[in-house]
Amino acid sequence: MVILRPEETGLKQLLDRILDKGVTIDTSVRVNLGSLDFLGAKARIILASFKTAEKVGLDFPEGTNLNTTAWQDLKTMQPCPVCGMKSRRDDLKEGCPWCGWNYRPDER
Amino acid sequence: MTSKKAALGADGTTDQMRGKTMESTTLTPEKDDSSGLAGAIDRILDKGLVINADITIDVSGVELLGIKIRAALASFETAAKYGLEFPSGTNLETAAWKEAMIEKEECPQCGKRVDREELLNIACPWCGWESAKAKKRKKAGVKVEVQ
Repeated sequence: MVILRPEETGLKQLLDRILDKGVTIDTSVRVNLGSLDFLGAKARIILASFKTAEKVGLDFPEGTNLNTTAWQDLKTMQPCPVCGMKSRRDDLKEGCPWCGWNYRPDER
Repeated sequence: MTSKKAALGADGTTDQMRGKTMESTTLTPEKDDSSGLAGAIDRILDKGLVINADITIDVSGVELLGIKIRAALASFETAAKYGLEFPSGTNLETAAWKEAMIEKEECPQCGKRVDREELLNIACPWCGWESAKAKKRKKAGVKVEVQ
């Protein structure tokens, strides 16, 4: 028997999608008085989830310890294609420990 | 084991759940707020959000002001797990922090967040759901103890 996670829709999924993809906002504003370059502003903003930030190498605030197991797990944890529960890639090779899914059913 | 887990409510979720499980004995997933605003906020705080910004303002070609922001937004639990720095004076030796450092996972059946190792290797302490791994081990007659 396979237990599927409840379908996630709406706002939650939208946010998931946005944060996992990452958002950059790159703007520059220039204000001229006559022909005189008067005021200029430039803003480069990036929004992303921790996972994406780690993947694309964004700066974290000073003092962040990047050696915790949670950071390691971000790299090695994979979701099972059937139940969506995350497990370490090596564990998944021998079949999903959560739902028993195996991509080589003959070896189950 | 179960009662001990119930008493240790370090994260906000157990507090909210305590009342629910007491009054009803039938365990049905109650995930009514999963797609609303509360669910969305939950998700953001759980995943963590990085906000980086570089802003410069110049007047007549002369750089006047520069702002560099490196911000991380996350729940206490996520912040602790990812090693974010807490304001000086925060006592990280309390029981709640130790509880937060335990890796947790949502039970696929009842939706409660429980110790990942226990859920995977034994069963959900709330609803008794067993993972494929636990069933396999049980079949093979291996007993596992997770403290």
